[in-house]
Amino acid sequence: MTDTNAAERPSDRGWGSASYSDRVAKRKRSERLLQGLGLGSIVLAFGFLALMVASLIATGYKAFTQTHVRIEVPVSAELVNPDDIFNSSWRRVMQQSMAVSFPDNSPEEVRAISQILSSGAQLAVRDAVVADPSLIGRTVEINVPASDPFDQLNKGLIDRATPEANRRVTDAQIAAFDELVAEGRVSTPINWGILTHADSRFPELAGLRGAIAGTLWLLLVCFAISFPVGIGAAIYLEEFAKKNRMSDFIEVNINNLAAVPSVVFGLLALAVFLNWFGLPRGAPFVGGLTLALMTLPTIIIATRAALKAVPPSIREAALGVGASKQQVVFQHVLPLAMPGILTGTIIGLAQAIGETAPLLLIGMNAFITAVPDGPFAASTTLPTQIFIWADSPERGFVSRTSAAILILLAVLVMLNGLAIYLRNRFERRW
Amino acid sequence: MNDMRIVERDVDTNQNKISARGVQVHYGDKLALKDVDVDILDKTVTAFIGPSGCGKSTFLRCLNRMNDTIDSCRVDGTITLDGADIYDPTIDPVQLRAKVGMVFQKPNPFPKSIYDNVAYGPKIHGLTRNKAELDEVVETSLRKAALWNEAKDRLSSPGTGLSGGQQQRLCIARAIATSPEVLLMDEPCSALDPIATAQIEELIDELRSQFSVVIVTHSMQQAARVSQRTAFFHLGNLVEYSETGKMFTNPSDPRTESYITGRIG
Repeated sequence: MTDTNAAERPSDRGWGSASYSDRVAKRKRSERLLQGLGLGSIVLAFGFLALMVASLIATGYKAFTQTHVRIEVPVSAELVNPDDIFNSSWRRVMQQSMAVSFPDNSPEEVRAISQILSSGAQLAVRDAVVADPSLIGRTVEINVPASDPFDQLNKGLIDRATPEANRRVTDAQIAAFDELVAEGRVSTPINWGILTHADSRFPELAGLRGAIAGTLWLLLVCFAISFPVGIGAAIYLEEFAKKNRMSDFIEVNINNLAAVPSVVFGLLALAVFLNWFGLPRGAPFVGGLTLALMTLPTIIIATRAALKAVPPSIREAALGVGASKQQVVFQHVLPLAMPGILTGTIIGLAQAIGETAPLLLIGMNAFITAVPDGPFAASTTLPTQIFIWADSPERGFVSRTSAAILILLAVLVMLNGLAIYLRNRFERRW
Repeated sequence: MNDMRIVERDVDTNQNKISARGVQVHYGDKLALKDVDVDILDKTVTAFIGPSGCGKSTFLRCLNRMNDTIDSCRVDGTITLDGADIYDPTIDPVQLRAKVGMVFQKPNPFPKSIYDNVAYGPKIHGLTRNKAELDEVVETSLRKAALWNEAKDRLSSPGTGLSGGQQQRLCIARAIATSPEVLLMDEPCSALDPIATAQIEELIDELRSQFSVVIVTHSMQQAARVSQRTAFFHLGNLVEYSETGKMFTNPSDPRTESYITGRIG
């Protein structure tokens, strides 16, 4: 504490000495390095994410518009039966319309030109007349979707310089299409059909409504099963079970289950749910059951961690005033653990929403053109729909696959946002 | 030591509230408490002192069977409350804890409103028939805990928003809301500043008129200030148990003397 002591101290311990500033510089350098590494990791991760989203948008954005052609359709009373508008011969109505629109061309040429329109065009006309029967006998002017090759042509995806034999549209068809463009009949509005239509063989008509509905049904079933069962199991294991070899064995198996490849769950579901229980093939209910099996370990592990994280002082406080074990768990521990439990559930459901392999095995990759009206109706899900579209040969499905992936990402973001909002509300209650 | 007295030394009654005979506690294979015999008097403040790890908290937690919640803990011997063995299989620990309240070292209010904190015990034990009665219990408990004046305008705000000393008084209010007969306090002032400590100590003295209070403390001054009787634990043994005045002025065991003069511990 005196001067002599200070003098005895090695000179390099002083404030301004060389080794002092060396040590400080070294420490600051390593701190900067660590921060830099962390920042670098984040930039790298976001870079890859941005790259993926950018490439999806680059290929997918064209699927969010759809070429339409405005045509005049004379709805003659001879062809349309007012008592059964729905089942009238709309094909012939369309043929008549094309013949009227291109009076100078031969019937063969007209048939070729009519391929510009989607085969769904007659359905658009039909629906318009069903909605307003007074149109019978008059001429309807209506925007109908163009068929896929002309949608591609309009979006510049078909090179006109390619020899005629190597492309799907003939020179005569291109000439007719250009004529329509010149007349101002061709437009490319936003393609709401991708959200409002179910699947179709024709890319211009295919949409994701069936897959979105299937995914929601599946998630509902998955949540309804895995959430209560997972929490129940976790509460029992964490709060009530005696810690012995048996509980260790169960714990190891639950952790193991979380790492089992999803295709194994699919095979199990195929053997048990479909072949043994005889549940319907391709139903969201079966998919939900299967994914619940996969989500369970995630929820159990997260719930146990959340229960463990509740401070023991709260348990003691409740026990101290004479709360029973069950009251302690349900009135104090569980509400405090809820945010953590919800986070685990979000992670589990986010995994489930993107799961494909087990659903392929239980037949959720079938071609289904109806929107499922319940958990027992056959349907696809967003990931299996992406799988189907990615496998389809039509050119239009290339961009639609990317668009579907973007929509899947958007659904994920929305569900995660909702869950985080719910979690925050739980946290704010106290 | 005599000048530290803030309370009367006189024991009002010689009626036994709790009697412990041959109490032994094992944690797994480790013997934590050896053959403890203690009689705790009614309407008296009894202090347990001793160095860390001497078994005083362990013994305190035997009195309301809080040790039951620890899997590896085993309690032998008999402890009676008003003559009834509290480790008898017919006694429900949950009911026991309503009779033997407990205040912990760290203030641990529930993350709920002040009102709900105090009302929780009476609610789960069905002590009140309607809201008005419950309101009254909450008010008297908060008054007894000397928190009413500070808390009456903010009963619906969270208990965790109070200061440390207020939180501890809230925990005392919560413990006495179930009208216990014994109040166990495990180092209730160790997380508090001297002013809050003084408030709690005053409160303990007031509570003595209704409850038997058992307090574990590391502060010998605190034991001398608030208690009528003191027990000194050392290495799992009950070394000495006598009137507080005698303990601090004329201890009979050399170990007690070493501890209170600061030579061991």
